[in-house]
Amino acid sequence: MRLPRARAVVGAMIAFGVSALAWEVFARSGSLPPAITPPLEAIAAALGRMIADGTMFVHVGYTLARIGVGLALATLVGVPLGMLMGRFKPVERFVLPLVSVLSPIPSLAWVPLFILWFGLGNTASVALVLYAALFPLVLNTWTGVCGVNRLWIRAAESMGAGSGAIFRHVVLPGALPFVIAGLRQAFARGWIAVVGGEMIAATRWGLGWVIFDSKEFLNTDVMLGSLAVIGLLGLGVERLVFAALERRTVERWGLMRSARA
Amino acid sequence: MLGLMPAKLFPGVDRIVATFVRLIATGVLPVHALSTLARLAAGFALGAVAGVIVGLLMGRSRWAEDVLLPLVSVGNPIPGLAYAPLFVIWFGLGNVPAVLIVGFAAAFPVAVNTWTGVRAVKTIWIRSAVAMGARERQLFRKVVLPGALPAVMTGLRLGLARAWRVLVAVEMLTAVPLGLGWLIFGAREFLATDVMLAGIAVIGLVGIGLEKLVFEPLERATVVRWGMLAR
Repeated sequence: MRLPRARAVVGAMIAFGVSALAWEVFARSGSLPPAITPPLEAIAAALGRMIADGTMFVHVGYTLARIGVGLALATLVGVPLGMLMGRFKPVERFVLPLVSVLSPIPSLAWVPLFILWFGLGNTASVALVLYAALFPLVLNTWTGVCGVNRLWIRAAESMGAGSGAIFRHVVLPGALPFVIAGLRQAFARGWIAVVGGEMIAATRWGLGWVIFDSKEFLNTDVMLGSLAVIGLLGLGVERLVFAALERRTVERWGLMRSARA
Repeated sequence: MLGLMPAKLFPGVDRIVATFVRLIATGVLPVHALSTLARLAAGFALGAVAGVIVGLLMGRSRWAEDVLLPLVSVGNPIPGLAYAPLFVIWFGLGNVPAVLIVGFAAAFPVAVNTWTGVRAVKTIWIRSAVAMGARERQLFRKVVLPGALPAVMTGLRLGLARAWRVLVAVEMLTAVPLGLGWLIFGAREFLATDVMLAGIAVIGLVGIGLEKLVFEPLERATVVRWGMLAR
């Protein structure tokens, strides 16, 4: 950000103030029934109610657990696979065509099939996150391993490093910025997948499910409140978890400079 | 094949291919694919125009940047699909909410990338154009717009990919009359897994096709030809 901080804060306040005001005027004008466009205090009240009785935390917990398990599985499968692809040509030749055919298929297209295969509930949602998150991880890890500077490898070799040491001390840290970038993309895709999956592969809990369920009862205040939580959580995880991860690892090791510096 | 899994749930490749051929021959798949593509085109056009306008505004005016950027950065990470039930309540079932959600979802990456692109135009180009007496309009048309184009293209590409993802899911939720998402979702009711897998294959093929047949030629004709991007 080149902007001075105060200016950005004022800008943000104007932006949110004006849009809140516009929404409020529109909601209270009576051009649409209030059940469809609830005023802000109704949305805030709905959110407050859900936080007070704890249901919001359960929804958030379920959604985060599903995406967490899915992402962890995808990392366990995707990163080693990407590494193998980068190090061994035959693996690359075998896996790359599969990945390039499967990766453009939107994960949500699989939902109905996953419901038939895994039933309604957690397994289908986790499988969906796994599918959505796997490809960015594989592709980014592979690119990262292939992109490790040849000079570094040769330098390590000439200093007598074995292939295990090269992998641990050169290839792994060298590829890490890409792996983290892949993790970021994977989270963004998984976040979409988990919300969508929860809507269709309905269970009793989850942020996507609560939005979809509220539609049946025309609880637009609950829907808008949950939508805000989804947006804030997505932004928060991206800013807090991944930015911190990058600072701790690749930026500290001097592999990547912060854009902000 | 081996009977480990019920064939009804995991149809063999031969069944899927046979279904695929049958559905294409009877015209079912083309009709569904075309109506999905029409929806994609309408929604993406809306989103692209809105996104480019917002991005240009943010890139050219500090005031617009201060006000619009917070809105864009909060709206960007919300999955477009999360709005779907809300849009259904507001606009009813059918094509209207589907197209609007697609446009809405596609607009964000386009806006962000256009904004980045406009800011990344080299100041030296702008200064030299100004020194040669270019006016504001000319500056914009001949320097800023082509200079920002590679980034705008990236934005359009990301936007289209996102639009495609959202559209398939939205078709499942808004009960459109025809469409690939709807085809898959409807086939589930009849346990027609072969139809579902054939539909998924078409979705993947169209996704690759959009990238290879639309964006690569477009890029070759503009930014690559102008020497702004090596390919």
